[in-house]
Amino acid sequence: MEHVAIVGVGMKRFGFYPEMHVNELGRDAGLAALDDAGLTFQDIDAVYAGHIFMQPMTAVRAVKELGCTGVPIQRIENASATGSAALREAYLAVAAGYYDKVLVLGLDKMTEVMGRTPAAPELEDAILPAAFFAMWATRRMHERGTKAEHLARIAAKNWNYGALNPMSQRQPTEKVTVEGVLKSSMVAWPLTKMMACPIGDGAAAAVVCRLDTAKKLAKGRPIVRIAASHLGSEKYERGHLFMGPVVGPPQMTRDAAKDVWEQSGLGPKDIHLVQVHDAFAIEELEYYELLGFCREGEAEGCIERGEFEPGGRVPFSTDGGLIARGHPGGPTGLAQIWETVLQLRGEAGKRQVPNARAGLCHMMGGGSVCVAHVLVRD
Amino acid sequence: MPDPKPRVPVKPGFYTVPADAAATPDVICSRCKDCGEYYFPKRLVCAKCLSRNTEERNVPARGTLYSFTFVHIPLFGSTKIEYQEGYGVGQIDLPQGPRIQLPLVGKREQFRVGQKVQGEISVMREQEDKDVVILRFRPVEA
Repeated sequence: MEHVAIVGVGMKRFGFYPEMHVNELGRDAGLAALDDAGLTFQDIDAVYAGHIFMQPMTAVRAVKELGCTGVPIQRIENASATGSAALREAYLAVAAGYYDKVLVLGLDKMTEVMGRTPAAPELEDAILPAAFFAMWATRRMHERGTKAEHLARIAAKNWNYGALNPMSQRQPTEKVTVEGVLKSSMVAWPLTKMMACPIGDGAAAAVVCRLDTAKKLAKGRPIVRIAASHLGSEKYERGHLFMGPVVGPPQMTRDAAKDVWEQSGLGPKDIHLVQVHDAFAIEELEYYELLGFCREGEAEGCIERGEFEPGGRVPFSTDGGLIARGHPGGPTGLAQIWETVLQLRGEAGKRQVPNARAGLCHMMGGGSVCVAHVLVRD
Repeated sequence: MPDPKPRVPVKPGFYTVPADAAATPDVICSRCKDCGEYYFPKRLVCAKCLSRNTEERNVPARGTLYSFTFVHIPLFGSTKIEYQEGYGVGQIDLPQGPRIQLPLVGKREQFRVGQKVQGEISVMREQEDKDVVILRFRPVEA
């Protein structure tokens, strides 16, 4: 589909908001996206709003903070990929011709549910997400000789990108080093605390519309178009994990990449920046290969040469990624969209990737699913 | 000697708790009667061939360690000192096919990818009327 654009993006910086209601976080991100698009809520034909952790009805109630116009509002939930999946629903609805201007909103206050005790313990409560991804790292070390330093270098890069992004939850005041990441406390060997994303609250939003509408609204600004959208789930293969905080198998991300390259007519060589689900540094390492930005077994060498760092071949996690920018849940995928749209417009400030014309956003959602979008500036 | 307290799994339907504490427990799987694929946990529909012709099969808790970690966080719901400073977790490949994720017995230095492991029933929480138990895997001494 070549006629769907993103005309507005907005964020409520991820962090801790004990004094604010989640609806107010959503309101602030929604208003920012409307302002960015030059629209009011009266102009919006439909809303897709996503959250993971909040009570039922939260999405609809949060959208009421923007106005009560009778607009259709649909809640979307797909774990970490909630915001990305909501964007895809808006894309499909506009591409199908049902709506013109659609608001996509993600919001969550993860801090309100942390520490809440499950009523009945499940067997899989013993397997934490940190343990699941640590086992990716252990296996990778066994197969490829990966060192903890490789993971620490990815994490340090993302922390330092965070310092350049005013919407990043983590704002290091000094340059983060590989040694500093390795010295932070061990969470699940070999993953340290600084190789993991923080918990937090926040919201992010985008306005999706028809390309002809985007041209009318542009007022001289570059137009960012959705060149591909993919949502997939697991395919069975021997060794499939059915229990625990699972994302995968790896083929799911390979399939997502293949699909978005086919849809967009682009390939890894045409992409100038990438956002991935780097909840833990080992994930970003695996996605370099699974998304096709290097061949299998080459990720460690690419890390050593800085190929995915600022000024490198194709920078990853340019807004700090989940590790620095944060990962409250529902809004996370839309923060990737916020970053990519700003980069493609040339509005990303100190972290701007020069002449960025195409970006890939990739998200995993537990369960599990994989969502990917390619955004381009024509 | 008073009668030993009953040993009750944290959740029924996943593994057996043998009366003989020294015996190796079983993992409760499903086997597809049409294509032969095994699954843990048990399920009705075969994920490989979509047949509904599956049966429950107990499989001895013995396998090969595919990967592991050591989590530096107390085990949720545990009252045992052993789990308060953290616990090992492994992905274990059963010879019948399923890969399962469960806690490991021991320290990180004792685990290595590819080693043989076997299951044992461990007490996680002592209650007045019962011991709540989990299935853990332990490296088999060579």
